[in-house]
Amino acid sequence: MTENRSEKAWTGASWGNPFGKLGRTTVLAIIFIFQIILTSVLVPGYFSVWGLLDATRAFVEVGFISLAMTLIIITGGIDLSVGALLALVSVTIGFSYQAGLPLGAASLLGVIVGVAGGTLNGLVTTYFRLHPLVVTLGTFALFRGIAFAVSDADAVSNFPQWFSVFGQYKFGGMVPAQLVVLVICAVIFWLLLSKTPFGRYVYAIGHNATASRFSGVATQKVTVAVYAIMGLMVGLAGLVHTSRIFSARGNAGFGLELVAIAIVVLGGARILGGSGTIWGTVMGLLILSYLQDGLSFAGVRGDIGLTIIGCALILGVFLNENIQKFRK
Amino acid sequence: MPSDQGDGVDARSPKDRHGRSILSNTLLARPETPALLFLILLLAVFSVTTKGFFSVNNFIGILEQGVIIAIVGLAVNQVILSAEIDVSVGSVLAVCAFIYGNLAMMFGGNLLPLFATLAVGTAIGLLNGVLSTYGKVPSIITTLGALFVYRGLILLLAGAQVLNVPKTSRVLGLSDVAGIPVSVLLLVVLAVGFYWVSTNTAWGRNIYAVGGNESGATTLGLPVNRTRLIAFVLSGAACGLAAAGFLGQIGQLQATAGTSFELRVITAVVLGGTSIRGGRGSVFSPIVGALLVGVILNAMTLNRVPGTMELFVLGVLILLSVSSEGIRQRYLEKKI
Repeated sequence: MTENRSEKAWTGASWGNPFGKLGRTTVLAIIFIFQIILTSVLVPGYFSVWGLLDATRAFVEVGFISLAMTLIIITGGIDLSVGALLALVSVTIGFSYQAGLPLGAASLLGVIVGVAGGTLNGLVTTYFRLHPLVVTLGTFALFRGIAFAVSDADAVSNFPQWFSVFGQYKFGGMVPAQLVVLVICAVIFWLLLSKTPFGRYVYAIGHNATASRFSGVATQKVTVAVYAIMGLMVGLAGLVHTSRIFSARGNAGFGLELVAIAIVVLGGARILGGSGTIWGTVMGLLILSYLQDGLSFAGVRGDIGLTIIGCALILGVFLNENIQKFRK
Repeated sequence: MPSDQGDGVDARSPKDRHGRSILSNTLLARPETPALLFLILLLAVFSVTTKGFFSVNNFIGILEQGVIIAIVGLAVNQVILSAEIDVSVGSVLAVCAFIYGNLAMMFGGNLLPLFATLAVGTAIGLLNGVLSTYGKVPSIITTLGALFVYRGLILLLAGAQVLNVPKTSRVLGLSDVAGIPVSVLLLVVLAVGFYWVSTNTAWGRNIYAVGGNESGATTLGLPVNRTRLIAFVLSGAACGLAAAGFLGQIGQLQATAGTSFELRVITAVVLGGTSIRGGRGSVFSPIVGALLVGVILNAMTLNRVPGTMELFVLGVLILLSVSSEGIRQRYLEKKI
């Protein structure tokens, strides 16, 4: 029934069919509510609106990246280089500022480096017709390597106070600024994916790249654009990250690619492409991030987070790929 | 004798149907030949330009560094030939090394820790393989997840532990026979073994068939899943074996040991001429590739290039070798 399900996602996710689309997302939303209730009961002192809002600061960055990762995974691709690219963006901002560039210009340069990195991934993938997994594995080492080489295991943290606005400002002392940006981005991505021809092409490529090409979809251009969008979001995330921790260092964003892919997969996107929704990804983001937040609030060591997310990733894909059989 | 490199190159007659001699057929057309020529070139260049490069001790040092990469590479090569990937080897190596170290400190000796790590490595490889084949989870997801799952466990369970392995338990890393390190001899034995398996068993042939044309292999009734599963199991077992050599060489261990080891291994495999698309490559690709990686890293150290440049260099090497594979593909398509 593989074909049928992709069919449903490819028509349903784009143009209504609320049950086909909302089924998974609704279930995830219910799971999320239960999760928050359970954590609040089990961990005394955990629940407060202020606390829950403050926790978003820790995962807005991975949220930006997950939105773009949703597009990439829908096209059947993958991007393993995002954590390394985030480090490169952060190091670019920090070290070009240290070298004398005004901080505003340095921030812009950082975002440009992000877009350039993403575009490079897209161009190499399409031009050489390689699987993005190999290309981004290479650029993963490349970006991280440049970030390490430039920073030479050093860090920049002597930013002026105004720079903290991107990662530490809160509207009314409650709502983190970057959370508002993330919500706006989520809406834009949702519109892009479900209400524009571009979004249709993204699904079409993931569904059947060859057929899309013969139907007149500029598959190469769309693919490069999807990776460039990822670059932009990594640039944004890198800026917020640098501002939030107020420091630029080469080991930033370790394991970020894993978290982002796990979120998207948990949100219901098939790793082989052709299906996935933005709201599913948003629910995946909330569930995984508040799980980590709850664990760390309860005093569990942060290292286990890697293990939990790794398990969630494998389990998520396993269920996605095998549940279809049950639906037969 | 069937060839060991896929692509239908067969050396049964002294002259093939195009009238080319065996030499051009088997030596020049081999997937690892460009890497071998590059290796010889680099050896010559570094011998002239880099002080301290051309010496027996330095070459043994390069061999010792490369041998760990090559042992795991031999198995990961089979995984990549079957058109799958294994990026978990860095963490699996670290898990095995920790088990080896703890058992060696508790009980001493070499055989017990070695068998234990072999068993653990095999079990991890089996789990990766089952999930990636019968479980229908793409191998990049399985092994990427595994990379972080095991690293997280090591950080959690052994983050503060200091391991000092007694010298008597470091045979695989320290001892030598007539000046040649035991680990190098082990690699030679393994390479011959892999060559024999690749040319003389059904599994060895199926790897190329499955990787070269999966639907064709399925139609022919080849056991696609089982073939790949065995490759994953070998990859895990190789990590167990390599862990003994790895820990034997350095004697101490941190929770971050083996980080980015998977990149070295994959670089060695693709640099050695194995196609990342699967189906084309030689058993010896990872050895040539590992020597190349070893020579480049060694020359960097001797020329006082900061260690922070290593990832950059590995990234460039991976991108160059997979791009050249892409160019080769485009060229072949144009020819048709």
